Amino acid sequence: MNQFLNKYAPVLALVILFAIGAIWKPDLFLQAEVLRNMLNQSVPIGIVAVGMTLVIAAGGIDLSVGSMLAMTGVFALTAMNKAIGGGQNEQTAVFLALAVSLGLGSLAGMFNGLLVTTGRLAPFIATLAGLVAYRSIGQAQVDSGEVRSMSANLFSRFGQDGIHLDFIRTQSGQALIFNWSIFVLIAVTVGFDILIRRTPFGRRLIAVGANEAAARYGAISVNRIRLASYTLLGTCVGIAAYVNASRMNSVSSSTAGQYYELDAIAAVVIGGTPLRGGVGRVWGTITGVLLLAVINNFLIATNVSTYWQGAVKGGIILFAVLLQRGRSDN
Amino acid sequence: MASDSVLAVRDISKTFGAVTAVSGVSLDFRQGEVHGIVGENGAGKSTLMKILAGVQKPDVGEILVDGKVVQFAGVREALRHGIALIHQELNLVDDLTVAENVFLGREPTRALLVDRGRQREATARLLTQVNSRVSPDDRVGDLPLAQRQLIEIAKAISFDSNVIIMDEPTAVLGRQEAEALFALIADLKSQGKSIIYISHLLPEVIQVCDRISVLRDGRFVETMPAAGATPAQLANAMVGRELGDFYPAKQTWESEQLLEVADLTTSGAENISFLLRKGEILGIAGLVGAGRTEVCEAIAGLRPRTGTVRVGNQTLSPGSPTAALSAGIGYVSEDRKGKGLILDMAIQSNITLPHLDAYGRVFLNRGKELASAEEWREKLSIKAADVSLPVGSLSGGNQQKVSIAKWLDTNTVRVLLLDEPTRGVDIGAKREIYDLIVHLASQGLGCVVVSSEMPELLGICHRILVMRDHRLAGELSQSEMSEQRVMALAAGVL
Repeated sequence: MNQFLNKYAPVLALVILFAIGAIWKPDLFLQAEVLRNMLNQSVPIGIVAVGMTLVIAAGGIDLSVGSMLAMTGVFALTAMNKAIGGGQNEQTAVFLALAVSLGLGSLAGMFNGLLVTTGRLAPFIATLAGLVAYRSIGQAQVDSGEVRSMSANLFSRFGQDGIHLDFIRTQSGQALIFNWSIFVLIAVTVGFDILIRRTPFGRRLIAVGANEAAARYGAISVNRIRLASYTLLGTCVGIAAYVNASRMNSVSSSTAGQYYELDAIAAVVIGGTPLRGGVGRVWGTITGVLLLAVINNFLIATNVSTYWQGAVKGGIILFAVLLQRGRSDN
Repeated sequence: MASDSVLAVRDISKTFGAVTAVSGVSLDFRQGEVHGIVGENGAGKSTLMKILAGVQKPDVGEILVDGKVVQFAGVREALRHGIALIHQELNLVDDLTVAENVFLGREPTRALLVDRGRQREATARLLTQVNSRVSPDDRVGDLPLAQRQLIEIAKAISFDSNVIIMDEPTAVLGRQEAEALFALIADLKSQGKSIIYISHLLPEVIQVCDRISVLRDGRFVETMPAAGATPAQLANAMVGRELGDFYPAKQTWESEQLLEVADLTTSGAENISFLLRKGEILGIAGLVGAGRTEVCEAIAGLRPRTGTVRVGNQTLSPGSPTAALSAGIGYVSEDRKGKGLILDMAIQSNITLPHLDAYGRVFLNRGKELASAEEWREKLSIKAADVSLPVGSLSGGNQQKVSIAKWLDTNTVRVLLLDEPTRGVDIGAKREIYDLIVHLASQGLGCVVVSSEMPELLGICHRILVMRDHRLAGELSQSEMSEQRVMALAAGVL
């Protein structure tokens, strides 16, 4: 029973918090449209956090994801706009944006991984450099401004459109749209959960995080596993950058992905993956992301100044870590 | 109760959940005596010592210091009553100096600042007392284990302890270092201090102690004078049955060559060459630090090297554990908890870890994993309720069986390097591990056994290589081997 409680504490917290909200402000918690928005807004951070789970489970950390997202988004949109300006058809241009997002994200992630493995830098320091550098590279491209998509509507459709649910109506009477991007989050989550729990790679990853020396002595190529974890996180950041840009139909080089590293790490820890690694709970991370979103909703409902949100989030993270310490003591 | 007892326990019991660790034990320790405590793993030695040192509280029973009943709320209080415990895993901070470690938490001060001069002097005095030649300013992490242990003893003395409990003090020491420790113990004894000495090495216990108490399954069995006691007598008291022949009969080996090491040089070992044949058990003896572990690790691809390592007619590229494994080399590390096993992981995951590719390219076949783990549990009689339990929940002997099974799994390993395979393992499991090694050799594996326990090398090996100062000092065949000759080669007194 106790073990059950420990494992599902984040889910329980989510359910309780949501129930309180539902009773207290049904219009803010029980409206399909509001819920959809909550979910949709959580998609980029959710995708990043799922990738972060992998890196943290292997005993690493990546502080650069927010900056990486901005840089990747800027380059993807710039490439797409150039293609459109150069007379390419829209489909090709959008496909180019996707390719640049995934490619550049993966490359940046791999670069972080190389610094940590071949370069033997502490992950915190290596990716701190990325946190500072990546955004700056993006800003330099566009004078710290914004890139607006020149695609007519194909590019934004991915983030804004989705399945039209005719049986649920929004307040304005239209069919509720369940965004494509939410499916992407679900797919990434399911995929990474299977990757960690069901594949040889996942098992080795957990071994590396739990005891690096024992993994090495067990003939596991520790560096290769580490490198792969950072690269996959980079791929996730690339996907998130694409989703983000598509949803806004633009990228702001100075604010896109800001504080994502903190939110992602918080979600991972709240979800039950300890910072020391050796455990990877992908669904826990998603619970953490949703918990953060529900708390945000709460703060909006209570009309608390947005400036207080950080303080509340900080408190939640501390609480989650204290809870974890209780867990490992058992 | 004897009036000269400095420390005594009466009817001490302690349970953890459903497990009774210590049950109704009464013992007394006299002034100026070395009192050995022996028993298999799980006999309750460690729990009893933790109770004496204030780490744990007994459920029932009392502790008497100088005849007066006392209660320890914690380690500090036990220290105040003159009882110090030196843990098996030494409790020193690697990044601090020797002096800082000795006075950690009670630094001498002058005007609110640490009085480094006084601290250094006091530490230097203590170090002389324990015959250590390190400097108070040395960083502890840079010192060899034997020296660190002396620092722990110095620390214990600095508390004015009358009773010093040593838990497996020689487990990490070579022969020479152990002898130095024994001399120090005799020294402390002559100063009127009492030593409680816990060890698995029975001949050593008989040599060092005045009296020996045997525990079995948490209960007191008997206390006997060390003079006249034999290891067999102690072992039988510990196990509660006759052990019979301790070492299995040696089998013959085949002439087919399996492993060839030529001119191997790595940090800590130079110009090592030897051959290992199919079915042969080759021992590597030597003092701690002679380079035995380094040789094994270099062969297993765990450290950079020069020279040639060949398995069959396959030459190995250096520095790759994966290449070594795929050529059929497995290395059972001396550091079971740090490098051999992932303690938080399930038994079954530990066993299959080096061979995961055999359990599915894309997805792991967990049914197959489970079946393998069950098979090894059966074959090696690993005592575990369930193979999905974390391996850290097993006793030392069973953990060791898992760390061997992980290499045997999938039957691809042809050369097994075993580094201190019976360290921290109780007598019953030791016997099982010897049986296992001999059985594996009879199946055609080549085994290399590194050990600091001479009787075990003589008992199971066909041939012994002796290392001294990072080099091979000699080789002893079956007919040449004796403790004296191994020792002479290892210490360089020929």
